[in-house]
Amino acid sequence: MSSKVSRRQFLSYALMGTGGFMASAMLMPMVRFALDPVLQPGSDGEFIPTQQKADDVTEVPVKVDFVIKDRKDAWYVSDVADSAWVYRDGDDIIALSPVCKHLGCTVNWEGDANHPDMFFCPCHDGLYEKNGKNVPGTPPLGPLDQYEVEVVDGFVHLGKIVPNQLVD
Amino acid sequence: MNWNAQEMDVYIQQKEYIDTLVVPFVSVQVEPDRMKASASASDFLMYLSRFIEAQFKGRMVFTPPMTFTKSVDLPTFARQVAEDFKESAFKHTFFLTTDASLAHLEIDGVTVVWLPSIPIESMEPNLKQSIMEDQLRQVLPVFTEKWSSAN
Repeated sequence: MSSKVSRRQFLSYALMGTGGFMASAMLMPMVRFALDPVLQPGSDGEFIPTQQKADDVTEVPVKVDFVIKDRKDAWYVSDVADSAWVYRDGDDIIALSPVCKHLGCTVNWEGDANHPDMFFCPCHDGLYEKNGKNVPGTPPLGPLDQYEVEVVDGFVHLGKIVPNQLVD
Repeated sequence: MNWNAQEMDVYIQQKEYIDTLVVPFVSVQVEPDRMKASASASDFLMYLSRFIEAQFKGRMVFTPPMTFTKSVDLPTFARQVAEDFKESAFKHTFFLTTDASLAHLEIDGVTVVWLPSIPIESMEPNLKQSIMEDQLRQVLPVFTEKWSSAN
């Protein structure tokens, strides 16, 4: 084999080289765009701090308000006020979402004098037990959702909403 | 429920549960010396509307605000709106306003809820939240009384 490169070989190498370079210039952004959602840092995993001290949480649910800063809805950026019902269960701190599973109203702990120790939905008299279990015979069809809870420096931080894990 | 197509779909499916229509009335004034007060009152009423909506999402539908300017005769306007809304399927209709000229107005088939406007623009979020909860506690009996009297 001669080590000389023929004119024909040189041309085909040169064409492959430039062609490959151009093809990669086209493909790279495509691959980048395709992978981009995977590379974005997940905003769901963030925990939002509240003003509730973990040591002050008792077995009686209390309403904890918190503000989600800069929530974006299309171009509209706003702070969204939200809340959770927080109580202690042994060593665990439980945070229940106050959103009724019927049609999305806000439930209240002991919101009705006739039903102590229960969550009450004022819209259609929905009832839930303390662990979020819906009382059969009232409109809600499922248990209240839960927030992921983390205690950071003694304060309750709330994460994303997950299905109720206390009710079997 | 808010006034958008998505939530109207839910309304159509769940009509039997969602029996209350709430209509905010907002005055828009552009005279330089009235603008700020007008904006502040509108801000308060819309914020409160959103707050009440979140609490009673499954029973109330909030319409977009009925806006009016200074030469509009508000009682006449309100009666006209009430007349047009009679054709709705809602059992209860509430008008929500900070305007004093509606405060004691009697309209057939409508309950007027009047609240004095509170300047919330300079408040920090937690205070704003507790003010809204106070306001809700004030108006709540008006709603529940109507709801229970119908049963």
